Amino acid sequence: MRNKETSENAKIKQAYVNAVPDICDVILSDCEKGKGTVVMMAETKKKKSIVKYMMAAAGMLVVLGAGTLLLNSYQVNYKVASTISLEVNPSIQIMVNEKERVLEVKALNKDGAIVVGDMDFSGSDIDVTVNALIGSMLRNGYLNELANSILISVDNDDPVKGSRLQEKLTEEVNQLLEADGFFGAVLGQTLMNDNTLQQQADRYGITTGKAQLIQQILDSTTGHTFEELAPLSINELNLIIASGAAEMEKVSTLGNASDKAYIGEEKAKEAAFAHAGVAAGDVIYYEMDMDVEKGVMVYEIDFKCGGYEYEYDVNARTGDIVKNKKEIDDDMPRGTQSPSGGTGTSGGTAQAGEGAAGGTAQTGAGASDGTAQTGTGTADGTTQTQTGTTMPSDGTQTPAPPAGSSGTYYHPEQHHEDYHHGSYAPTQGGGGSTGTASGTITLEQAKEIALNHAGLTADAVYFEKAKLDYDDGMQIYEVEFISGNVDYEYEIDALTGAVWDYEWDYD
Amino acid sequence: MFSLTSMEKIKADCNPEAMEQCLLGIGEQDLKALEEFYYRTSTSVYGFALSVLKNTQDAEDVMHDLYILVWSAAGKYHADGKPMAWVLTITRNLCLQKLREYRKQSDIPREDWEVYISNNGQMSAEDKLVLTECLKNLSDEERQIVMLHAVSGFKHREIARLLEMPLSTVLSKYNRAMKKLRKIYGGEQ
Repeated sequence: MRNKETSENAKIKQAYVNAVPDICDVILSDCEKGKGTVVMMAETKKKKSIVKYMMAAAGMLVVLGAGTLLLNSYQVNYKVASTISLEVNPSIQIMVNEKERVLEVKALNKDGAIVVGDMDFSGSDIDVTVNALIGSMLRNGYLNELANSILISVDNDDPVKGSRLQEKLTEEVNQLLEADGFFGAVLGQTLMNDNTLQQQADRYGITTGKAQLIQQILDSTTGHTFEELAPLSINELNLIIASGAAEMEKVSTLGNASDKAYIGEEKAKEAAFAHAGVAAGDVIYYEMDMDVEKGVMVYEIDFKCGGYEYEYDVNARTGDIVKNKKEIDDDMPRGTQSPSGGTGTSGGTAQAGEGAAGGTAQTGAGASDGTAQTGTGTADGTTQTQTGTTMPSDGTQTPAPPAGSSGTYYHPEQHHEDYHHGSYAPTQGGGGSTGTASGTITLEQAKEIALNHAGLTADAVYFEKAKLDYDDGMQIYEVEFISGNVDYEYEIDALTGAVWDYEWDYD
Repeated sequence: MFSLTSMEKIKADCNPEAMEQCLLGIGEQDLKALEEFYYRTSTSVYGFALSVLKNTQDAEDVMHDLYILVWSAAGKYHADGKPMAWVLTITRNLCLQKLREYRKQSDIPREDWEVYISNNGQMSAEDKLVLTECLKNLSDEERQIVMLHAVSGFKHREIARLLEMPLSTVLSKYNRAMKKLRKIYGGEQ
């Protein structure tokens, strides 16, 4: 059977061998003529001869004194009608004339120079040039499965022409990439004349196209700077756009940006949930965006669970938690913070009682939250003996950073209400308010509460800020300190010592 | 330069090492290396282009363009032991580009390979029969798979990669195609 197949294949091969026209001499002669220069394709060759012919014709016209025609010919052939920029990380600019023949190809960075190499595209058709450049990007590994996005920007005085050329190239590059075996993502845009963008592009050494893309992301998102986004690759920018963090009106997209270099949304989600100590099934709201934080690509994960709102930034490459934040969910009716809300510890248990709420977890009296929580679900109200000045003994609980230390959470809303009613102490659940010491803590105590919460001691931190502030009718101590490379920010209720809000972030 | 006889011997010999040696030479603008490379690969290039385009003039144009491109870009080939895959990927791109141009102009050239084969003086009667049946009775994909396996010596896995098909599809298409051909050639059913 195998022999039979081999002999059949041999016959087929022989038939093909004999069917091939021998054009070796023609090829050798064409290559010989073009030695030293790069001729991309036969079509290019033909076009070159047309260009030569036109040049010759133009020369004759000069002799005949037809200066006007010469000028016209010059404008058609040598005037830059469109500038196309290709950006992956290599940045390349292609200048074409009105007939879309290449006048010049410029590498705008080192990677761009590697892609262009010693190829000379003068006179070539734009399609051929783009084909060759994409081929070179693939061969040189700039476009690959891990980073598959390319930005094509077209600048033409005539917006209609510019837009048409951009659409054509976007589609062609997309097909080229598909033909080459992987799914690319092509972003296309027509450039607007904007001096500010040009200045930004010059400042950061990027193309105007990339500057415009970044500007659009900045216009539709908050918390980014040009400086932060400029070093990102097009694939990274595309991931930010694709994840919905930015809405782009002026950019057309084909294909999806590759996230294969990253851990993936599922793993990031797992990391965040595990850190928060919540079960996926208990999460009632979830949203993920890809974003950049201090130059690092992160999965920005927001979710709500057990009456709390969580915000996590997970390093997209390593899965490390870069930043987290936990707040009472304003949309939840008070007292509905459930046990699942926090690392299994959580005053949640205590909160389980109706309307009792996290406030109960504040079980002052030095009882660690953990104790309160495990307190067999005692009706919180009954367990709490808020002393106003008493700190939660979180210090015993979690080392810094406070991994899901939800148990340390107090119930700010409760305090709000109490405050507005002129009495800061919890009133629900019959918990006798014990607002001793007139309910006001000192700055030092506030610092201590924050330190305890973070599981740190004063000698291990540097305080950047610690002051009393008046926020929304409440007196709050704002405490900020640094330990190692982690920044901590706390808001401590000046009346009760409750931790209203905290956030930590890698510096 | 190789003699005509020696060129005959290496026709369609897709030895990867020899091909990479040629590419090194081409990178240094050595025409002899290009000539050897041409004879080693042109059957695969033309066969593949013809199987995609089904028009002999277009297949010849693609073959011409391909070698001009190789001449200019050989220096950029990264030796990975798969020079034929590199060449055929470029060939495929050139073919697809041509098809796109035609599609835009709504002007698809007619298939002319049957006439070409029947008028081809280089081919024996058996060659003509084998090729005609191969081209006529197989689907485009089957034909490409059979050609790449028989002529270019591609393994099914390599074919799957080039044609962007699952390996299982390539295998089943190949087996189906060979069954058809055996039936036609009067071999086993």
